[in-house]
Amino acid sequence: MPPAIDTVDLVKDYGDLRALNELSLTVESGEFFGLLGPNGAGKTTFINTLVGLVRKSGGEARVFGYDVEDDYRQARDAIGLAPQEFNVDRFFPIKEVLMHKAGYHGISEDEAAERADEVLKRVGIYDKRNERFDWLSGGMKRRLLLARALVTDPDLLILDEPTAGVDVQLRHDLWDLVTELNDEGTTILLTTHYIEEAERLCDRVAIMNEGHKVTVATPDDLKQRGTDTVDVRLESPPDTAATVADELGAYAHDVTVTGDHLEVRVDDGGSTAPQLLSELETMGYEIADLEISRTSLEEIFVDMTRQEDRSVTRSDAPSSAAETDDDPGSRYESEREQEGVA
Amino acid sequence: MLSVGFRALFKREVLRFVRRPKNTFMPPAITNVLYFAVFGVILGGRIEEPVDGIGYILFLIPGLVVLGVISNAFENASFSIFHGRWNEYIHETLTSPLSYVEMVVAYVAASAVRGLIVGVIVAVIGALFVPVTVEHAVFLVVTMVVIAALFAGFGIIGGLIARDFDDLTVMNQFILRPLVFFGAVFYSLTMLEPVWQAVSLLNPMVYMVDSVRYGLLGYSDMFAVTPASVGEFAPLLSLGVLVVLTAGVLTLDVYLFKIGYGLTD
Repeated sequence: MPPAIDTVDLVKDYGDLRALNELSLTVESGEFFGLLGPNGAGKTTFINTLVGLVRKSGGEARVFGYDVEDDYRQARDAIGLAPQEFNVDRFFPIKEVLMHKAGYHGISEDEAAERADEVLKRVGIYDKRNERFDWLSGGMKRRLLLARALVTDPDLLILDEPTAGVDVQLRHDLWDLVTELNDEGTTILLTTHYIEEAERLCDRVAIMNEGHKVTVATPDDLKQRGTDTVDVRLESPPDTAATVADELGAYAHDVTVTGDHLEVRVDDGGSTAPQLLSELETMGYEIADLEISRTSLEEIFVDMTRQEDRSVTRSDAPSSAAETDDDPGSRYESEREQEGVA
Repeated sequence: MLSVGFRALFKREVLRFVRRPKNTFMPPAITNVLYFAVFGVILGGRIEEPVDGIGYILFLIPGLVVLGVISNAFENASFSIFHGRWNEYIHETLTSPLSYVEMVVAYVAASAVRGLIVGVIVAVIGALFVPVTVEHAVFLVVTMVVIAALFAGFGIIGGLIARDFDDLTVMNQFILRPLVFFGAVFYSLTMLEPVWQAVSLLNPMVYMVDSVRYGLLGYSDMFAVTPASVGEFAPLLSLGVLVVLTAGVLTLDVYLFKIGYGLTD
């Protein structure tokens, strides 16, 4: 089976801004894949390129072997997208919105109705099926986006920051649901700012920054790349860190003294600690306590995506019609108010 | 062409306006009752027959039908596309496996249906004021369908190029409506000085109003204001030009969808 997502040297330029910079990425079928990166890293641009909302400037992008431009119908049929924005049809009750979406994907009306009921139950808002989108709470809206992505029974489910701004309960519900879907064989591409989310859910993660791929690895592999901190409490600490640092081996990247605590940054705290303790004892220090802390994925992420030039603003490009500065609330005016005299 | 996806989008588009008659059908109905009452009955009684044998109210009907068809087909398509872009729910369509041709034809067909329904409403209201006999039914139906599709197609372009709701208002109120009003809706070209007749012939709406008038009443201004060799075939010639123009506009719509103009980044 071809990869769920396969991009080669994918480029997207917005004028002078290169949003995607020769991005090559492969997501295998059945994988739970995370896309991490700060705002403006190109995550949403990447996703929108796959679903046809962004036209690539160069390179190749395929979904289950289908080129996203030449074979756009097959590629789009395979994808279910739950975007960040609440881009839902506000003219119809939510069940009908789901039926329309299923219909566009060639699903007959009767089956679409069944599927709409099914996914609304699955995300827990079935009792709201006759409500319009604007009447739902924020959490329900987020659930509806997921339901809309699921109603076409996609092979590739793309979740663009699905838990942004939702409460803890909903976040856990969504985690359970997407884990279940992945267990059932659905490939999942998840973008998120929550490192814990990626660590908990993803088989592999890609870290993106300024349009290019920084690295791809499992969350465990990534954490291995970080340094650990060995915190040793001494009965009689040295006056300065330098006194100790000069005596320790090359494994000690950084040494600091805070009160009676000596903190030493090393690559692998578990295997290095015995040597460190032995050398400290040789130097005549008496060990009172020892604690090893691993670098969090979040710290590694921050290290890898640190922006050098902060004078340049990077953010995802606005969509075509909504790029004015008008108050977003004005978008929800009635048709009559917006249409003028008909 | 009539795939499940196409039918789903067409149905969604039709339901959107059918479920809002107060927004979509009531206003043109009321406006046209006023037109017929004021221009037809109150003022029309004091106006000579613009054409021998055709009273003023009867003369008005084709023009007002065209005005209704054009305005509503254009407005429906432009609003539907622009509102979808504005609130971004057009992404539901754009991220689906529908082909670009299916998308465009569904939007155009639904908008044309709205235009035609309004056209029929206007004709029925007119018939309440004066008896109407359709002279060339097939020609009338074909012409109305082509005009509705043409302006639905223009509406798609309007919806794609608009950057604000004000742009839609400008297109409808300041471009379409004046062209139709000066398209011999309320008067016959034969009532104008030769120079204004010539100028009027540059207005494409003149041919549409005239074609519908020919289909409904069997009368065409072209018989009188163009050379006999042309005038005789004028209605068919107008229809032919409209068909070609419509095909061109719909092709442009599909092209704009394909390149994502106004739709994708």
